[in-house]
Amino acid sequence: MPADLKCKIAGVEFANPIMTASGCAGYGEELAQIYPLSNLGALVTKSISLKVRPGHPPPRTVETPGGLLNAIGLANVGIDRFLKEKVPFLEKQKTKVIVNVAGSTIDEYVEVCSRLNDCSCADMIELNISCPNVNEGGIEFGTSPKLTEKTVAAARKVFKRPIIAKLAPNVTSIAEIANAAEQGGADALSIINSVIGTAVDIDSWQPLLTNINGGLTGPAIKPIALAMVSSVYRKCNLPIIGIGGITDYKDVIEYLLYGATAVQVGTALFVDPSAPLKIVKDLKKYLKEKKLKSVTELIGKVRR
Amino acid sequence: MTKPTCEDTLVVKKRDLKNDYYSLVLAPFSQAKSIQPGQFVHIRLPSTDIYFRRAFSVASVSPVKEEVEIIFKVFGRGTKILGKLCKGNSLDLLGPLGVPFSFPNKKERAVIVAGGVGFPPLMFLAEKMIEKGHNPKQIEFFYGGRSKAELVELSRLKKMGIKLHLSTDDGSAGTKGLVIGPVEQYLKKHLKEKIKLFGCGPEKMLKAVDELGLKYDIKGQLAIEALMPCGVGICLGCVVPLKAGGFARVCCDGPVFEIGVVNIAC
Repeated sequence: MPADLKCKIAGVEFANPIMTASGCAGYGEELAQIYPLSNLGALVTKSISLKVRPGHPPPRTVETPGGLLNAIGLANVGIDRFLKEKVPFLEKQKTKVIVNVAGSTIDEYVEVCSRLNDCSCADMIELNISCPNVNEGGIEFGTSPKLTEKTVAAARKVFKRPIIAKLAPNVTSIAEIANAAEQGGADALSIINSVIGTAVDIDSWQPLLTNINGGLTGPAIKPIALAMVSSVYRKCNLPIIGIGGITDYKDVIEYLLYGATAVQVGTALFVDPSAPLKIVKDLKKYLKEKKLKSVTELIGKVRR
Repeated sequence: MTKPTCEDTLVVKKRDLKNDYYSLVLAPFSQAKSIQPGQFVHIRLPSTDIYFRRAFSVASVSPVKEEVEIIFKVFGRGTKILGKLCKGNSLDLLGPLGVPFSFPNKKERAVIVAGGVGFPPLMFLAEKMIEKGHNPKQIEFFYGGRSKAELVELSRLKKMGIKLHLSTDDGSAGTKGLVIGPVEQYLKKHLKEKIKLFGCGPEKMLKAVDELGLKYDIKGQLAIEALMPCGVGICLGCVVPLKAGGFARVCCDGPVFEIGVVNIAC
């Protein structure tokens, strides 16, 4: 019998634990040209804000050893166009859809979440309270336990299906923020968003990103993210979606062993849009070799 | 548009074009037949040090042999690795990607402006135009570089029967000076003809071609280069500002844009 890859978070069942990370798969249209999205556990959309955001002027990305620094600036179509132009496509996809939400005030989060509550296509929402490269909003909410709780609680009031809080690594104690999100009514946690970083051109002495700071992603941040997942797993009761540098099935297993229930693949999609398919295939093989019936048997099983 | 696919190919032919320029022919790539001039392939480098793919416009294809040719100059870390590859080495290709050039109609004269490493997609364009029945004498190919050594594949271009106009910064071949000078002179002389402009090269050259197109009211297209983390439109990392405001993704809204659309920075 083939190993079972199904997993469940806050009552929502996923075909497998492999999701796309927000900002790394757009609204799904481009990936769907390459393979059916039903291969994914879930598609997590780009952050949706109340208004259209054109994003930062280029250059927006810099390649770093084992990673990518980006300052896209939450470029997105805004909630109106998302509902009108992107949802009809997403409704046809046979995968779970998690809509990532960003705001620069709590009211903005509330309005976007409330509009999404009426959109049955959004199986869950993921609150981006941790974007490191916009000046207003984003990370400000996710670096203070109080604001985290307040933002999640405000979204909780208007969105009736499960809410995931996506946490920033740029904090002193991520477990404290995780507990605040739980207090606010979050059903799950995505750990981690990108790590603040920067880079400079040594000839012009100018920063390589127009925005100066960016978010570091890719394999370079995997050990950081793993440690954070491990820390939160031990100190908080919410299910965890692990994010950071996942490129192949081995990375996924590490995250599950440290306590993640599912994972999101981000930067690796830029290198290989089909990475999730390969991961799923290899994960099945691994489970069979280890004689495990379900992928859930790996969760939190690290031998300390 | 053809679905992009990701396939392992082999280097079936490598040519040293001198002065750090190389041609690699990669095969088999099942989508070779559907690649159009201006489109690119995104190449994963066989190196643990470099994580992201590198985009290369296609220089030619052989549909029967499922071959894809790229021509590049060793410039940075990525091209350095590619330049060291040998026949038989394998390379992972993702493609075809991007919006191709649209072919001019056969009555139009094509004025093609190639600067340095920007010539491969334009050579491909000229070749495909001829294949589709365009008179080679109706193709004016302006090719500029720093010096004679920087102009490669000249015999191949000459064989196509197109009108080749060379220019070099140092005067070691063709007209001395930037390629844009002879282009403007040509346009001025032929203002009454139906002309379509095509350009690919350094930003300064593209900006000049864009300005010429607008100045003489000549339509055309420019292929723009950008660093592209994903190449398929999802990362939004390769955007360029538009004159009308906002941004466009070079990888999938381009790399070929109409003249007058992109606010070319340089």
